[in-house]
Formats: sequence, structure tokens, C-alpha cells
Amino acid sequence: MVNEISSSKDRSSKAATTEVVDVSNLAKRYTGWSILGRRPIDALRGVDLKARGGEVFGLLGPNGAGKTTLIKVLLGVVRPSSGTAKLFGESAGSVQARRRVGYLPESLRIDRHHTARSALAYYGRLSGMSQGDIARRADELLELVGLKGRDRECVARFSKGMYQRLGLAQALLHDPDLLILDEPTDGLDPVGRNEVRKVLETLRDQGKTIFLNSHILQEVEVVCSRVAILAKGKIRGVGTVGELSQRLATNQVTFDLRSDTNLTSPEFLTDLSDSLQIDALNFKCQQSEAGLYRLSADLQNQLHVDQLVDVLRAKRISISQLEKKRPTLEDLFMQLVGEQEGSES
Amino acid sequence: MSAYIAVVIDSFRAAFSSRVLWIAFVAIWILLAALAPIGFRLQYTTDFRSQDFYNGTRLKAMLARGTVDERLAEKPIGRLAASMPDELSRQLRLVGDGDEVRIFLRVFADALNRCLDDESWYSEEAWSDTLQFRELRELDAITGPMDEELKRRRARLRIEAALPGVFETRASRSIRLTYAGIDFPATFAMDKAQFLILVNQYVLPVIIQWLMGFVLVFLGILVTSSMIPEMLQPGSLHLLLSKPISRTMLLLSKFLGGCTFVLLCVTQLVIGLFLIAWLRLDIWNARMLWCIPVSVFLFSVFYSVSTLAGLIWRSSILAIGVTCIFGSLCLVIGVIGGLFDSFVTRPASIRHIALAGDVVIGTTKGGGLVRWDQTNKVWADIFESNPMGADRVIPPVVVRESTVVTARVRGGRFNPFGSGPSDLLVMNAESGWVGEPSMRLPTSTTEIFVAGDQLIALNAAELSATSVQQIFRQVGESFLSEQTIDGESSESDEVDLPLPVDQELGQFDSQPKVGATGWLQKLSNMMGEAAEGFSQILPKNISLTPPRAVYMDSNGDYLIVQSRGRLLRFEKPETGNGVWGKVTERSIEGEAANRCWIAVSGSTMLLAREESPLQMFDVNTLEPLGEIDLPDSLSPVRLIGVSDASREARYFLVTSDGLLRQVASSFDGSDLRISDPTGPREIESVYFDSIRQKVYISHHTDQIDIYDSQQWKMVERLDPSISGWRFVDRYMIGPLRFMTPQTGELGEAIEAIISGKTARTILDGPDAGESVRYELIRPIVSCSAFVFLMLLTSCYYFATRDF
Repeated sequence: MVNEISSSKDRSSKAATTEVVDVSNLAKRYTGWSILGRRPIDALRGVDLKARGGEVFGLLGPNGAGKTTLIKVLLGVVRPSSGTAKLFGESAGSVQARRRVGYLPESLRIDRHHTARSALAYYGRLSGMSQGDIARRADELLELVGLKGRDRECVARFSKGMYQRLGLAQALLHDPDLLILDEPTDGLDPVGRNEVRKVLETLRDQGKTIFLNSHILQEVEVVCSRVAILAKGKIRGVGTVGELSQRLATNQVTFDLRSDTNLTSPEFLTDLSDSLQIDALNFKCQQSEAGLYRLSADLQNQLHVDQLVDVLRAKRISISQLEKKRPTLEDLFMQLVGEQEGSES
Repeated sequence: MSAYIAVVIDSFRAAFSSRVLWIAFVAIWILLAALAPIGFRLQYTTDFRSQDFYNGTRLKAMLARGTVDERLAEKPIGRLAASMPDELSRQLRLVGDGDEVRIFLRVFADALNRCLDDESWYSEEAWSDTLQFRELRELDAITGPMDEELKRRRARLRIEAALPGVFETRASRSIRLTYAGIDFPATFAMDKAQFLILVNQYVLPVIIQWLMGFVLVFLGILVTSSMIPEMLQPGSLHLLLSKPISRTMLLLSKFLGGCTFVLLCVTQLVIGLFLIAWLRLDIWNARMLWCIPVSVFLFSVFYSVSTLAGLIWRSSILAIGVTCIFGSLCLVIGVIGGLFDSFVTRPASIRHIALAGDVVIGTTKGGGLVRWDQTNKVWADIFESNPMGADRVIPPVVVRESTVVTARVRGGRFNPFGSGPSDLLVMNAESGWVGEPSMRLPTSTTEIFVAGDQLIALNAAELSATSVQQIFRQVGESFLSEQTIDGESSESDEVDLPLPVDQELGQFDSQPKVGATGWLQKLSNMMGEAAEGFSQILPKNISLTPPRAVYMDSNGDYLIVQSRGRLLRFEKPETGNGVWGKVTERSIEGEAANRCWIAVSGSTMLLAREESPLQMFDVNTLEPLGEIDLPDSLSPVRLIGVSDASREARYFLVTSDGLLRQVASSFDGSDLRISDPTGPREIESVYFDSIRQKVYISHHTDQIDIYDSQQWKMVERLDPSISGWRFVDRYMIGPLRFMTPQTGELGEAIEAIISGKTARTILDGPDAGESVRYELIRPIVSCSAFVFLMLLTSCYYFATRDF
């Protein structure tokens, strides 16, 4: 399904050296109304982030975090209350900035009188493309998104997945430098998700800058080169998944042990504590099967790991596996969001 | 720009995908298919219809007299009366015996139509003394065989000749509509030119106005109200706003696109009607195509409201609701405004002006008589106006410097006969402007003239004269004393007493004398014959059938009339009394059924007729001197001639656009020209005071501008202070109407465009037609301003709002 699509390599390489998205101290306050009067709602509270050309930037956050507001600001749909947002060095929302952006909204609506091809023609004209360019690009993109052969069919008969793929095609139609995708796989079945993901990977490989807003952490983890986690209108973390993992690095080491003696006894744990001069509470041991135990310990440094191995071996305990735990993106997300919720409370 | 064109084109596609649009298309096609078989053919006007009768009472009286008066048995009305059906004869006999019997006009029409097929009532000898219409003379001259239709036409003309003053003038040819080649049962007694006017001015505008002004606008709002709320759906709007386009232009493009629905429907409907009118009715009226943009514009007024409501509430239901409320508001304000126009403003408008000394007297449209109170700067009522009233005030004339004579015809507004006899009322300042009843007017009098020492009354078909002295004698000393002051001896009055003369009523050779009593007198009164003290001045065989025009020389030396396509000049007999002699007659081209006006200036006479150019004649010989077309689409409304020291003939013509134009030429008719509009706007009437050489122009309901006729400079304005409902109208209803888009008037604009006229004429009483101007500029400006304001607000909202 995935074919090569034409793009300007020069433009991609140039974009890679510049900051495509530059958000600084961005705040957005909505005014809500209730019986009690005006009620301000802070959707964004001083957001700072940068996305460089050629990278796939993932934006993560729980519902109500401000992700959609941030995207709306980038598209110029809403105006910031304070701070700045720039795309390609231009003010976000300016015609020049929007000319270089392709956008796939979360719940795409295309008027029912359109076919896939007429919809592409319509949105292409809105993007300032000529008829010839639209016809050429439409053929390429319809094949890319797998709608070739159904391009004369009324969109009213399209499935959700076909809708999303058509939306992706329209976002790519004018060969934008920045692709803003809002939940591109939302509502798709696993096959559909996989297809969209492959398209994204192809685009990433071609050097497109993609700003991806998604709830699906695994998708972001696989596709995105950098992510930002947004909660309650604030950025909780920005960086690669690895960089963020380091912030969560817990020093916890797990040993799978084999021994005939009972390793779950308090004496054994006290003995280990004394040997390493570490608080006994750091050690936990559980028996998984007869003669098999899992020991976990919070060790400050590699010296303690080495010493513990020495102590265990001295006690003639066999070490079948040693694992230093690495946090997943979900762990990271949950911790950062949890931190934020804790600080809010 | 191509992006915005794409939005508009997309709206076309969206409209074409709408089922409602296709339902509307099918409905339009069915309507056009239903109208397409309509055609017409011309035939002679033969059958009588109820609306052909100008004076049914006179008809009843004449036939009743023909029935009961044996002396008339061999006269035309006797012969006609004898051929009436038995039941009608019985009723006519009862009438002749003095009973009050109501006979419907359609009964007379049926009876006379039977006479068309059987001319046994006709006798050449009996008809030798009747009116001799030109067309009848021509038909009588045919010696060879005639087809049935022509025979019926001749029979009708013979009946009309035998019953003068009974019938309205009708065109000789009638339109008979056909449907798929089959004749409609009824005919339209009008020639093709009138038929074109009828179709262009009434039929097509009504169809288009109703279909487009109401059906399509409402349907259009139902369909398009969802366009803006759907655009505002997040998945649609955010995508649109992410494109490099302007929000304002996007909204305007959507707005234009929304108008495409109505554009598509209206275009089909109008082009369909245009083709039917052209191919089936032989009416080429390219002005109809203007209805397309006007209708779309009318829709845009409502759609601009729907757009703003849709933007704010993002709900098509609310958008429809708000638009309907807005439409209802416009309608209610329009109706309230219309009520104020009908019951407050227009009844107060000055229709005729007369000068009694220095006092300006006017009649109002509401049947009132007012005088200008210079002290309080108000119009003081002599007869109170009553918008619902049925009374008619005879336009006052000035006799003896500061005394006016008028009459109030009870129930005479729509019935020339009125509901009873009317007395002349004499009034002046000394009498406190209380009308003193004087002589009884001939029945169905519509106008009176002062002709030297005589007062002439124009009624259903005749002119009757009495002496001014006789009028004064009947009201007593207070008025007589004034005449003494005027230096006229009372002895001289004696010779002015009217002498009884034979009543000239067509075929009667034995007429009741004035003053006769009993049933004969009653019948005479019903027929509109001269009342006691009046004597008829037109020769027999002359009947002034409406529409007609009369010019009476102020010295009473001659008069000129126009009736049934003939101009006639009569001169007063040297004896001073009796029948005036016809000295000149001239046939004039054009449709005789159109309204006309006559005025005289110097040695020239100007004839103004609807649908015809202005024609100038020599006042003595009635030789044509020249003619000039009125500016496009204008019709005459009032005409006066100015006799002053200038070396050329001058006339002032009020046209259907409510403006005054000066028509001038040398006395030999060369250099006939018409000026650009001059003076105020919204003119109701114009009056020339030959003594003071001033022109009085009533305008804007009841203001009067007084111009020096020589220098044409305004010397005074009578601007009455207003109070009561007029105050409410001017300062509350007026501004409210100004602020509300005048969508109703915009519908009238369609009528104006199709008809190509600036006004339409509404008959308002005998010999009176009110020219109602079409408002074209005001509603377009008002609606444009409203649409602009709504779109400005919508664009500001859309451009500044976070979505």
C-alpha cells in the first residue's frame, strides 16, 4: 500500500535544521459562563516546546490536558491569551504559516455530496493548488492511502477508516512541510491503525515534520522521535522516550534466584542489609516456585549491585537472571501525570 | 481568489445534492408545464359583464321608464325594455311604479346578452337619433354579409348607443384566453395593449412575488439554514480554518453559496415564465429576468439573519426560528406601517386645492374638506376625514372671490350615484366655513366647474348648468350681501335664472320638465338627469362616457371634452342659456379606455393620456400641434395649464413618480418640450391661481409649496404642525420602518420591474384613480444596508471568535 511519494528533499533537509514549531510561554484562558457568573478556564498555562524539522513529535496528555487547544493555537483557530506560537518562524495562524501546514482533524467531516476525488479537489483549491497539481497529487495520494478505485464513490458510503485515510490524503495534498495529525488512528481497527502507522513511518523516513497528537502510547513510542507530555495545560516533559525514561530511572534491580534455603526469611534480608549497609526495607523477596525466588532491591549504584552479587554468590545462591528495570512510556506518562495531579491536590 | 470560488462552487454542488432542491425543481417544472398550454386569441368585445356598467342605477331607471312609459314604446329604450325577460320586465315595472326593487347587474348583463343574439328590438328609424359611435357607423355601413361575432358586436354598440351614460368605455377587441386550444368561458374586455399591461403589471408580478417572495424564500431558508452550523462542526471548521484563507472571505463565500439554492430555483422559474409569456402570450418582456437578482437579493436579506443566528448558536433549528421571527417582525412592522398609511397618513393627503380669497381649501383623500389655519399653522377640518367613510367630497370651486361651493355625496366614494341626493354647499369665512345647503345637484355628480356666471356639474354622462346667482339666492342674505359688495346688482340675477329646457337624453323627444314631480321625476333623478334649477348643456347624441376629461373655460365661453376617443369643443350659445353647440370634433388615436386629462394654456390645449404621448392641439380648431413622449415608464397623474404673461404655452404635469414636470411650447406647438422634475417630491396635486399667478403644490401628505409661476421660485410653504397619530407615525412608526428592512416593498419592486412602471393606478371612486408609486430605491437601499450590517456583524464575529 505504501508507495513512495514525492517530496522536496532540499526543503526537508533545510527544515531539519530549523525549529518548525516554536511555542514559548503559551497560555490560553477561556471564559466559561455559569449561573454564578464568569468562570475562567486555563487550557494552557505557559507551554514551552519546540519541534524541529524532520522529526515526528508526539503530543501526549490525558483528556482536558490542553492538547487540542495547543493544536488550535498552532493552526490559528484560537488566539493565545499570552505567549507566542510560531510555525516556521511565522506567527502561528498566519496565512504564510498555514500554507505550509497539512492538518488532519480528530473527527473529520467531509460534506456528503463529495467523492474522495472531489473532496481532494475542493481542499486542494482551498490550499491554493492548481487544478493540474491537484489531479497529479490526488492520484498519488489516493494510491498511498489505499482509496484508489473508490475515488469516485460518495464519501457518505465510506467507513471510518476510509474517512481517516481520505483525511490523511487531503492533509498531504499540498505537500506541506508540517503535518499536524490529531488522533489519526482514532476509531480505526488494528489493520487500519497499522496502515496509517506505515504511512506515518514512510513520511517520517521522507523527512516530513509531523506533529502527532495521540492517545495511543504505543503508537507514539514507535513512531515519534520526540514526545511532550501535557497535563492540565502544562508541559510535564519533553524529549525522546529515552531521555524521559532517565528522569524516571528507579535503580530497582531484580534478581531471580535459585536456592534450597528459605530466602524469604527476615534473617536473610537483614543479613543482606548488614552486608551492604543498606536499609533492610529496600529488600523484598518472594518465592515464585519451589526453590525459585525473586529478590528486588533499590540499589543506589553499581557498587551495590556488584556487592550484592558477591554476597549472594558467597551464600552459594544461584543467580538465574539479573534485571535492572527500565520504565515504559506508559510508566512515564502515568508518573508525570500523577505528579501533576499530586501537585495540583 | 480561486479558493473562495471553490467554496461557492462547492455550495452549488451541495445544493444540487439536496433532495429539497430537486423537489423544488420538480414543483417548478409541474407549474410551468401547467401554465405552458395557456394562450389567447383576440375577438370582438360582445358580451356584457357586470363590471362593464358604469351606472347601474341609471340603467335600471332607463329600462324602467322604457317599460312603463308607453310614449317610449317605439324608442330605443322602449324597444330594448320590451325585449327584457319576463321576470326582469316585472321588476322593471315595479321600479317604474316607484317601488324599491334591487336588481343585480348580472341580471341586466344576462338580459342584454340575450339581446345580442336576437336583434328584433332594433329599428333603424328608432336608432337614428341615438349616439353614433364611429365604430357603429362603420359597422352600419357594411352592406355585405357579416359573421356572427361582428353582428353581436354591432348589436352591443347599438345597445350602448341606446343607453348613454350606462356603460364604461371598453376596447372593441377582447382577449379570450385558451388552454391547450380550448377557450376559457370568460373574455377580458381589453385590447392586446391592455392585456400586456395586465399580464406585465399584475399577473406575472403576483406569480413571481408570491412564489419567490414567500415560497422560495421560506424553502430556501429551510434548506440553507444548516450550511453555517454544519461548517462550524469541529471536524469541518478546523480543517477549513487550517487552510490559508481568510475567515471573512470564507464566510462571505459560504453566504454567496447559500444563495445559490434560490438562484437555481428562481432562474428556472423566471426563465420558464419568460418563455411562456413570450411563446404563448406573445409578450416579450426581458425585464422579467431582473426578477432573478432581485429575488436572490430578497432571499439574501433573510439568509443574512440565518447566517448570523447560525454562527452564534450553531443550530439550524435556531437559525430557522430566528429567521422566521425576523420575517414575522418585518411583516408586522410592514402591516402596522401599512395601517398607519391607510388610516392616518393617506386620508390626510390633499387631493384638490382651491383658494377662497387668501384661504387655502383642500379636499383630502379621506373624504374630508380642510382649510388652512394660518394662525395655528394647522389644517382645520370643515368636513372631517374618515378613512373608512364612504362619502365623497366634490372638489370645491371658488365663486365670487372668497366663497367656495362644494358638496358631500353620501356613500358616493365607490358609487357615483351615492346613497341619496346631495346639495351644493356654499361656505366662506363669514359663515364660519359652515356649508349652507343650496341647490340640489344632479345625481351622480363627480365634478363641478365655474364657467363665468354659471356653475356646471359633470355627472354620469352629462353636463348640467345652473346660475351662480341661483345658488346664492337659495342660501340667503349673508351670501347675497357679498355679491353686492362685488358690485353686481341683484336685478341682473334675474336674467341668470336657468330657463327650463328640453332634457337631452339621447332618444327622448318628450322629456320631463325640470321640477316635475312623482315617479317620473324619481326616475329622472335615478338616471342622473338635471336636477331642479339645472339644465343640460350638451346636445343630444353626446354622452360623456368614462373615462373622460373635461376642460371648462373659466369665462364660460367654451368647453372641451374627451370621451370615447373623441375630442369635442362646445361653445356657449349667444343667448347665454340652453344647449351648447358643438363646433369642432376630432378623433384621436389610441386606446379610448385609458384615463386622460385636458388642460389649456393660451391658444393651446394639452391632452395627457395613459400609455400615450402628450398631445398638443389648437384650442379653437383642435388641430394637432405636436406631441411628445413622457419619460420612460411614467404616466400622467395631474395636469394644469398656466395662463400668464409668458410668450409660450406652459403646463405643469404631475407624473406617476410623484414629481412635477413643466411642459412648454410656443403657441404654434413648435418646440414642445418637457422639463426635468422640478419642485418637491411626493406630489399629490397641483393648482394654479391665475389671479395671483401662483402654483400651489401639495406634497408629502399635506404640505403645500407655493411657487411664483413666473420666476418659478418658492414663495411660501404651508407646513402644518402635526399631533396625535400623525405624530406617532412620523416619529415612531417611520423610524421603526426605516430601521427595518423593507422586504415587503422589495416584493413591490418586482412588480415595478416587470411592469416597467413607476406607479400603479388604483381606482378610488368615480372618475378618480389613485396613483400608488412603487418604492424601488428605498427598499433596495434599506435591504442592502441591512444585509451589509448583518454580514459585517457576522464577519466580525467569525473573524474574532475562538472556535
